[in-house]
Amino acid sequence: MPDWLNIALRSTGAIVYLFILTKIIGKRQIRQLTYIEYIVGITIGSIAGFMAMEMDGPIYHSLIALTIFALFPVLLEWLSLKSKFIRNVVEGNAAILIKDGKILEDNLKSERLTTEDLLEHLRMKNVFRVADVEFALMETSGELSVLLKSQNQPLTPQHLELTVSPAEEPQAVIMDGAIMDEPLATLGLNRRWVRAELEKAGVALENVFLGQVDKGGQLYLDLYDDKIQAPRPNEMKLTFATLKKCQADLELFALETQDKRMKRFYRYDSEELQDVIDQMKPLLIR
Amino acid sequence: MTVASQVKQTLASLKGAQANLETFALNTQNQQAKQLYTQAAEQTKSILSNLEQRVTELENEEPQYKGF
Repeated sequence: MPDWLNIALRSTGAIVYLFILTKIIGKRQIRQLTYIEYIVGITIGSIAGFMAMEMDGPIYHSLIALTIFALFPVLLEWLSLKSKFIRNVVEGNAAILIKDGKILEDNLKSERLTTEDLLEHLRMKNVFRVADVEFALMETSGELSVLLKSQNQPLTPQHLELTVSPAEEPQAVIMDGAIMDEPLATLGLNRRWVRAELEKAGVALENVFLGQVDKGGQLYLDLYDDKIQAPRPNEMKLTFATLKKCQADLELFALETQDKRMKRFYRYDSEELQDVIDQMKPLLIR
Repeated sequence: MTVASQVKQTLASLKGAQANLETFALNTQNQQAKQLYTQAAEQTKSILSNLEQRVTELENEEPQYKGF
């Protein structure tokens, strides 16, 4: 066998084997490396390179080394699932850097972080004032988690005591002019519904780049032709407006009529309708 | 426009809104939202039947405008 063929075969083998091994190690590898995984990642690469280029030794030597290096983190992970102690040793502990709004200098030192490093980490979390931070923690992955003081946390509907409609995940039902059957089925809708909605909007299916079903089955459309304005779904807002109009009408009737009994009835109805409106407001408007 | 026909108009709009609420209830997969829509549709329906009664009474009072 000529040398070049040998190298080509070994390289291909190394790549394929490496691919299989990384599949076994799992997806954690890329994003959040533990110490061990970091070491393994580096070593595995050089062994694979060695396997491809070094033609003296038999190929299975490198394969054995690769397998051991790759299976070691899997074994460690399995062990750390079983025991908290091993977990602490392998993954290390998170270090508290800021507590009760005060920087813990000793922990900063033991993590070998300078003040600039801390500030940089905070800025990456969109925090520019240390005074805004209640609690900050250096995770084992080296990322900083920040808890802001409650007065600096973003405003949520809960703070305003607003009721909002329950979140529903939107589904993309049209992509590149083709109807997607699976997301449609998840929503309990079918192709005929999509065609009817497109007809309503006056848009051809081929012209739709993306169609997404929002809450309450409203279809949002983005067209290929950006000059055409796709009608925005406003059925919910219209319904809400109609309800409000009817309520106003009822109040008007109550004011206009001279009949005491009728007045009472109209008033009662308008109050009932106001109740419905209050209930529907979060769902239809927000 | 007579009072009866005004009430009838309101009745018609409200009927449309009620039907929409029922459609929303059918279209959503979220159980909580579904329940809220159904509840609102039911409540609107009872208001509708009240109003319909009112219309009948008005037509009895002004029989010359019946049907308008």
